[in-house]
Amino acid sequence: MKTAIQTTDISDLIICYDCDLLFKNPHVDVGYALFCPRCGCKLYEPKKNSINRTLALSITALLLYLPASLIPLMTFDTFGFKQSCSIFDAVILFYDKGYLFVSLMVAFTSLLFPLIKLLLLFSISICLKLKHYSDLLPLFMRCHSFIDEWEMLDVYMIGILVTIMKMYNTVHIQYEPGFFFFIGLLIITFCSSTAMDKNLFWSLIEKKGLS
Amino acid sequence: MGKNIKKNDLHHITGMKAGIALCHGCHKALAAMGKNGVTAKLCPRCGSSIHFRKPASIARTWALLITAAILAFPANLLPIMRVYSMSVPDDSTIMEGIIYFFKEGSYGIGLIIFTASILIPLFKITGIGLILFSIHFKWKTKVKQRALMFRFIQFVGRWSMLDIFVIALLQAFIDFGILSSTVPAPAATYFTGVVAATMFAAITFDPRLMWDE
Repeated sequence: MKTAIQTTDISDLIICYDCDLLFKNPHVDVGYALFCPRCGCKLYEPKKNSINRTLALSITALLLYLPASLIPLMTFDTFGFKQSCSIFDAVILFYDKGYLFVSLMVAFTSLLFPLIKLLLLFSISICLKLKHYSDLLPLFMRCHSFIDEWEMLDVYMIGILVTIMKMYNTVHIQYEPGFFFFIGLLIITFCSSTAMDKNLFWSLIEKKGLS
Repeated sequence: MGKNIKKNDLHHITGMKAGIALCHGCHKALAAMGKNGVTAKLCPRCGSSIHFRKPASIARTWALLITAAILAFPANLLPIMRVYSMSVPDDSTIMEGIIYFFKEGSYGIGLIIFTASILIPLFKITGIGLILFSIHFKWKTKVKQRALMFRFIQFVGRWSMLDIFVIALLQAFIDFGILSSTVPAPAATYFTGVVAATMFAAITFDPRLMWDE
């Protein structure tokens, strides 16, 4: 026995994922956002030229990634003692001192997840751009939405600023190229995630470019 | 009769009542058989398993929240950082570090660290706890405010990692041999545990349970 709902077309319905409210999906133009009328959760915000922008920004960010994580950020200088270090070194030091769990967490949130996220954004957007609808795309999209929450470049940046402010009076700080690469990486990564239109990407993957 | 219906009640058709499940992975609406059985086990679009609500959401969130609350004690009571100056070790807990900033006169950093390491974890644990109690005791007032609070908790959750990143950088930069050096202390592990547990608690919690009758 089929219920009424199975025979009706539900493709133009939308469900709020924060409060489960069901309503008819209105058409949303670029520059506007759809909010749930009951709980106020932002449901959808279409982005302009999403595939091209995501692709361009993710390539830029990937180019910045290696210098940003391997080149020293700064050099601290006091009484002739000099100490410089990169983001990668900071992770290794935690591990060397026996803090395995902390070093893993720092490695994932500040090194691995940003890289994986950028690689996923790049591969998803280049597949959609070339209209190559691989079976791996749904998996990539799901990994991306998980990693998005655990990638903490912005928190790391504030961490760098706090460190600078803390040591400002005691040591002489010299900024190395890695610092500027890192700021670039942070800004471009942020832009590439905001350029991504998840609803558009999912519907393109579903239809495999048809329609 | 008409006057007794509140404006909100007019919108009360939920996906679950209509027999339409929402995929957690890709937010696709999927027709289901009825209240218990979903037609397909996996989402045809993204392959996630489909449920009306996240499975065992409340029990899992409680478990993670209690874990976070237990870990919060060693995280705050044990030293998180040890500074050697002229080879003399000096341990400091999170709170001692913050007090140091205030004594130095750097109120800005003091406030940033205080917010990230004390206020946010405390707010996350009490906030999610309050929401879980509200579901258990079926409090029906101010649901919208609680929903807003939960979204805020999801948003600020990541920022409590700040202190760990600062320690990571300090131990790397402040390593001037005998003159002065900085190393992490045991509370770093517990504090990272608090951050991870509260973030997972926010992920396993299903905010739609707040709105269910």
